Amino acid sequence: MDAVFLFGCGFIIAGAVIAATVRPLGRALTLFVAAVVPGLVMNAGFSIERIVSLPSVYPLIPSIPWCEPFFRADGLALYFLLVVTTVAVPTIISAHSYLQQHLGRGAAVRAFLVSFSLLLLATQLVVLANHAIVFLVFWELMTLAAYLGMLLEKEKEEVQKGSFIYFTTTHMATFILYVFFFMLHAHAGSWFFTDFHIAPDLGLLFYGVCGLGFLGFGIKAGFMPFHFWLPWAHPIAPTVLSAFLSGVIIKTGIYGIFRVIEFCSPLPAWIGILIMVVSVFSAIFGVWYALAQHDIKKLLAYHSIENIGIIGIGIGTGVIGISYSVQSLIWLGFGGALFHTFNHAIFKTLLFIGSGVIYQNFGTRDIERMGGIVHRAPWFTALFLVGTLAISGLPPLNGFMSEFLIFKGFFESASALGKYFPLFMLVMAVGLAFVGGLALACFTKIDSVMFLGTERSSLGAFTVTAADYAAMGFPALLCILFGIYPQPVLGIITSVIANNRWGIALQPYTIFAQWNMLTLVFVSVLAAIGCVFAAKTIGARRRAAPAWACGYRRQTPKMQYTASSFADEINSIAAATLHLRTHTSAPETIFPKRSKFDSHAGDFSEETFVAPLYHAIVDRAGAIESLSRTDIRYYILFMLIVVLVYGGVAIVWTYF
Amino acid sequence: MENVLSILFCLTLLYIVVTSRLKTYVSILRTQGILLSAIMVFPFINHLSVHILIIPITSFIVKAVIIPRFINKIVIDLDVKRIVEPSIQPFNFLLLTVASMSVMFVSAHVLSGFTPIEPIPFASAFSAIIVGIYIIIFRKKLIVHVVGFMILENGIFLFGTSVAGEMPTIVELGAMLDVFVVVFLMGITINKIRSTFTQQDVSVLGRLKD
Repeated sequence: MDAVFLFGCGFIIAGAVIAATVRPLGRALTLFVAAVVPGLVMNAGFSIERIVSLPSVYPLIPSIPWCEPFFRADGLALYFLLVVTTVAVPTIISAHSYLQQHLGRGAAVRAFLVSFSLLLLATQLVVLANHAIVFLVFWELMTLAAYLGMLLEKEKEEVQKGSFIYFTTTHMATFILYVFFFMLHAHAGSWFFTDFHIAPDLGLLFYGVCGLGFLGFGIKAGFMPFHFWLPWAHPIAPTVLSAFLSGVIIKTGIYGIFRVIEFCSPLPAWIGILIMVVSVFSAIFGVWYALAQHDIKKLLAYHSIENIGIIGIGIGTGVIGISYSVQSLIWLGFGGALFHTFNHAIFKTLLFIGSGVIYQNFGTRDIERMGGIVHRAPWFTALFLVGTLAISGLPPLNGFMSEFLIFKGFFESASALGKYFPLFMLVMAVGLAFVGGLALACFTKIDSVMFLGTERSSLGAFTVTAADYAAMGFPALLCILFGIYPQPVLGIITSVIANNRWGIALQPYTIFAQWNMLTLVFVSVLAAIGCVFAAKTIGARRRAAPAWACGYRRQTPKMQYTASSFADEINSIAAATLHLRTHTSAPETIFPKRSKFDSHAGDFSEETFVAPLYHAIVDRAGAIESLSRTDIRYYILFMLIVVLVYGGVAIVWTYF
Repeated sequence: MENVLSILFCLTLLYIVVTSRLKTYVSILRTQGILLSAIMVFPFINHLSVHILIIPITSFIVKAVIIPRFINKIVIDLDVKRIVEPSIQPFNFLLLTVASMSVMFVSAHVLSGFTPIEPIPFASAFSAIIVGIYIIIFRKKLIVHVVGFMILENGIFLFGTSVAGEMPTIVELGAMLDVFVVVFLMGITINKIRSTFTQQDVSVLGRLKD
């Protein structure tokens, strides 16, 4: 069975080779998809097969003994491998139709495909690595491959800026991770994850190490004060890549946080509370910012921050559960977090692929210029609608299920822990409910402005290829399946959590006691709705007429509600905190003149501390700019000086 | 004997610092190549074998025969002016070099108390590395930079013998190959850019940037 994983990786590498060599490019693209998809399916099958056989952990590839200690396929690794591969399949399929418009670029598309397959491979190996250096190498490879993939349209200025922000931020995160792993190594005397362990009785060292770990992985995951790179990087990437970035790459940060919890155990309860507070902050502000966006991909990027926040709330609950050793909390908190990780990966991929199709057809990402898509492509709209309902957390879709677990965790902890926890958990529950409400408002905005109404800009044909339908249909199907019948996934999550190294003995706990009943309810309610719908439509007389217009006869598309006006009411509540600005210029003359209105959403973290910090550094750096020369001899002189300083320090160090 | 040869090696370094004729540079390179091969052979003079002689013979062929000839050929082909163009007074350069060398010798003496090194070859090696870098920094002509790199590499080579056992043969061979390639590439590059720049002077090479 272990050969399956090798074959899977082999297929992905073969995809890279095909992308680099086969001519013409159109055929290379088709063959690339045909090679990589089976590879991903194999790896997904491999991970499911291994998860089923938990708690026994086998070496990753038993036929290659020397690589055995460097990789370890334990529950957490296999679960994230499953997430990565499952989500990568629709992404790769959609790449086939998305890249058709870029075929003229030739080498750039080949480079993109090669770096994409490298990214797939590196991401899978990151979660399987058991050796700190191997982990960092693949982590770096993953970062760089994603960066190279972003550069498909590198002649655009926004692409250059966004990819640069991504590059610097993730490198900062990687640097923090280097320090984190070196400190762990210094403490454990080994590079292997299985040997890393640090206990709270070390005081400051413990808090330093786990703070670094949470910081490094938190930047990658996009928790709130460090999220600023996400709305820059995700919109500018080619849509297939941003689907993968938002669905999977930021989840490697979540994976890392789970590892930090393993290494630094047991974490005190206040860290769990801190994680929950930061997460609820991320969730609320992420969705609030999303509400203010006009750029569909930027909006989805902010929603990633929101969902990372929801996952973080689950993790925080689990940490509190560990510190008080309350079994049900661990199961519900971590279970909800893991389940939501999978769910978010699924529906975010669906939505990003959908937004890619829309972008291809409209040539813009601005929501204000879209509209009336439902008349052009009803099935496409239905698939997109499934994604929006799922991300808003509405039953019976998968987003509801994972949020339900997290909510259940709140109430469990309130009743099990007592003290100030009932109040705290109440605040958290209200926060999460608020997030759900805002998300619903945001996706109502998207669905109504983009899909309903009439077209705001003239549009030729709206084409959705079969590959697009397949790529969106698969995650949509998973959304419905995991919502109505989550038992298999919950079974997988149960065995993953049971196979943990949190230093706590877990009793068997059924997270899904009454789920079969829930399934029954969902199915019957859906069937009832279906019956009513069928009864109303079949045999009914269809009447086509323009939309209701209050008796006004000369409607134009401009009279529709815009996205800004839709969101204005909610956004105005926290406009100052969110750095939302509107500019209205309506000349007050007797005769109407051309008036203007535009709204702009800043970002408090970017504008209050990232940008000032950046400018401060640039200003300081300007002081030594005079040292920059064109002559190589100066650089050799600088090198000599640095080497001499190091040598001098070394000699002084040894001598005294 | 090694110490004597190392001191001779240091004297060639001092000479190359004050001289300003290109021809002397090349002949000093040749002398250094011979000295280095000799230094490598001497410890094994009583029990010679083919295995031991591989590195000295290779280094003799490359350092004392091929590279000097190649540089001479470039100088003739390109009709370079036969003097180096210093950007520092020769006397100041000598003072700087002597000062650096004395620092090296003192540090080597200090270090020899802690680690098993032979102080004189060690200090000569480091002096060669420093002088090589100085030559690259203070000389404008591109062909002289090649000589600077060669001297730097000679230093690394000598360093290898001074900490014998610590540094495997393969590293020395690798370093030699590296510099060999660098010299060839520079020769080719100098030939190519001759069409654009009449003089081979790094201070104008900055214009190639854009």
